[in-house]
Amino acid sequence: MTENRKHPRRKERSWGKINFSQAFKQAPWRSQAQMVGLFLLAMVIVLLVAGVYLTISGQAASAGLQAYNLNAERRTLERTIADSKAQLALLTSASLMEDRAVDMGFESANPENVVYIVIPGYTGRQTAILAPPPGIVEEEGPVVKSEYRQSLWDWLFQGINRLSSSVESK
Amino acid sequence: MIEWIRSLPRMKWLAIFFTIFALMIVIQMVRIQTSASAKNLNEWAENYGYEVRTIQSERGYIYDRWGHLLAGNREVYELGVELQYVRNPQTIAATLASLTGADYNDMLASASQEYVEGSSVYVTLVDFIDVNKVNEIETLKEQYEENNPYGQDEELPSLRGLVWTPHLQRIYPEGTLASNVLGFYPYLDRENGRGFFGVEEEYNDLLAGIKKEVLIALDPYEMQEIPTAPPGASLVLTIDRDIQRMTENILDNSLETTGADNGTIIVMDPSNGEILAMASTPRMNPNEYWEYSDIFTSGIPYNKAVSQVYEPGSVFKVLTMAAAIDAGAVKPDTEFVDSGYIEVGGVTIYNWDRSAWGPQTMVGCMQHSLNVCLSWVATELGDEKFYQYLDAFGIGHRTNIDLAGEEVYPLSEPGDPMWYKVNLATNSFGQGVAVTPIQMLMAASALANDGQMVAPHVLKAYIQDGQQYNTNPQIVGTPITAETAHTLTSMLETSLMEESSDALVEGYSVAGKTGTAEIVVNGEYSSNQTNASFVGWGPTDDPQFMVYVWLEKPSSSIWGSVVAAPVFSDVVEQLVVLMNIPPDDLRKSLQGQ
Repeated sequence: MTENRKHPRRKERSWGKINFSQAFKQAPWRSQAQMVGLFLLAMVIVLLVAGVYLTISGQAASAGLQAYNLNAERRTLERTIADSKAQLALLTSASLMEDRAVDMGFESANPENVVYIVIPGYTGRQTAILAPPPGIVEEEGPVVKSEYRQSLWDWLFQGINRLSSSVESK
Repeated sequence: MIEWIRSLPRMKWLAIFFTIFALMIVIQMVRIQTSASAKNLNEWAENYGYEVRTIQSERGYIYDRWGHLLAGNREVYELGVELQYVRNPQTIAATLASLTGADYNDMLASASQEYVEGSSVYVTLVDFIDVNKVNEIETLKEQYEENNPYGQDEELPSLRGLVWTPHLQRIYPEGTLASNVLGFYPYLDRENGRGFFGVEEEYNDLLAGIKKEVLIALDPYEMQEIPTAPPGASLVLTIDRDIQRMTENILDNSLETTGADNGTIIVMDPSNGEILAMASTPRMNPNEYWEYSDIFTSGIPYNKAVSQVYEPGSVFKVLTMAAAIDAGAVKPDTEFVDSGYIEVGGVTIYNWDRSAWGPQTMVGCMQHSLNVCLSWVATELGDEKFYQYLDAFGIGHRTNIDLAGEEVYPLSEPGDPMWYKVNLATNSFGQGVAVTPIQMLMAASALANDGQMVAPHVLKAYIQDGQQYNTNPQIVGTPITAETAHTLTSMLETSLMEESSDALVEGYSVAGKTGTAEIVVNGEYSSNQTNASFVGWGPTDDPQFMVYVWLEKPSSSIWGSVVAAPVFSDVVEQLVVLMNIPPDDLRKSLQGQ
């Protein structure tokens, strides 16, 4: 009973193999198409990797240049702010303000013509608080991460180096 | 072979073709990466892939107590030529000569220099040019470029090669205002500039920030966060711009009316030592600092308030009397019979008018400023105690005010080779002793501040790394008790009222003392050249201001009571308005509410 059960299964398996091989032998273009397909697949992968690499490289370079330009713009803005402060101070200098006040008909106050009133809660004029709001904490270092700065070549060599070093260590 | 080739199917041909093509690409990649050109390129990139840039902090600002800018920075331009691109040096020279006032020949010579790679590339032509001028030049350059692209036609004008670089220049928007306090920064020296005099020198390290050289990668992949140099700390001074302007105006007017050579007025808050105003002559515009040597000739100090010692004369009597009362040597009602002279150490001392004033209380002695009486008071006190008190008042020591160039004159004390017994008498009325105005004011601050002497200072706060740090007032000593201070204030208030002094201000109680000190000319005291002074404070029940006036060699009158006391009154009259101090009766009634 046991022998009888084994034989038909073997036959089934060999028939399946023969049928598959026969199918290929009968249509040789299939093996060619398989080879070409595999080759094209490899090409597509390589092209995709190259495309991704080019895109990332472009973006990284663009980001680097943008950072450079932003730094330049920041320096320009700092100078503009300093200059604006100076211009404002020139326009509101004591002598100019006094001249303008006189032109507008104002007179210097004397103790006799000053009226003092009590304002509950008013503690008087407060001296200047000129500290700017807290700025961002700057960390010096590469703006673009190392992953985005590696060329494909660097990446390949890095991989090979890692592999060889791991083999050596074993 | 041919048969074998013919036997190959077309698909295989295609596969072979693509394989060879791909291999060629890989081979080419390897060749490019490992070629001699690639090596050269790498070496070039290592040399030129970075630039060394000097980063200079922006110099910190200086504000008055209310935030008015007293010293800042404005944008100006350096104009130069990149020799490689210059096409028409004549146009460049003519343009700069007409717009900036530069010398045509100098400009032409500079712009005509030959370009030598690595050594002669860029030449600076003019610097510190206003932005408006640069805008005009830019418009011209664009017009010329439009008419003569790339400067190809050498007959046509072209500004090609002319470039401009912005940078900051120190500016003092208020001109001469408070220039003696501020000092100046010689901005023309862009490499080694540092502050001179006043706050600019005293706080130069804080204001200057840092200067550093950094390596900047030009490769966008290697782009680093370009380090920034945080700006120098900004300073908030105790100076009140309006009070400063007022005191300077009054000082200038008083010099005209009294014919004095120079003068100083200091206004200080006696409760904390904050200098509200410090006017001194001569003054100069720090924007034109190169005039310094023309204005401050023959050793005239930049700020006489802190840098010139002089014999103060009778204002010094307040210290003598304070010491004597504090030590219990005399009381306000102690009587002294003034005979017109007194002999101390073998030398006869006379009053200012060489008369005898008869019986006088200590109030009378102060009111009439009697040298004989004060000499007697000093002898009653004794030389040891007298000089202990002077030492406690800071005489002979620097006040350490935060302004550059403070001077001090050593005080001769018993035991010193230059000290004689008569010094006790002469020192008691301010002769034979020399002080700066700020030193005298600090000593007198003990009288206006319950016996506590405050350190005079001009820095109220500084701002660094986004934080504002306020300074705290310092008590530098308590030479007398509060009771003595009140007693002296009361005595001086009374003496001013009884003599109907010109120092009085209607509605306000003030205490003070005049001083007239003869000046030594050719080794002898001159009777017609004096230092006229006044030190006073008010309101007497709650002193909120101290004013020190010093006029040097007034010609309309030699007396402090005639020339310096009215100046004090003029200052206080406007000061109370600017400081919002109501008249005494109103103030007391408001306090009672």
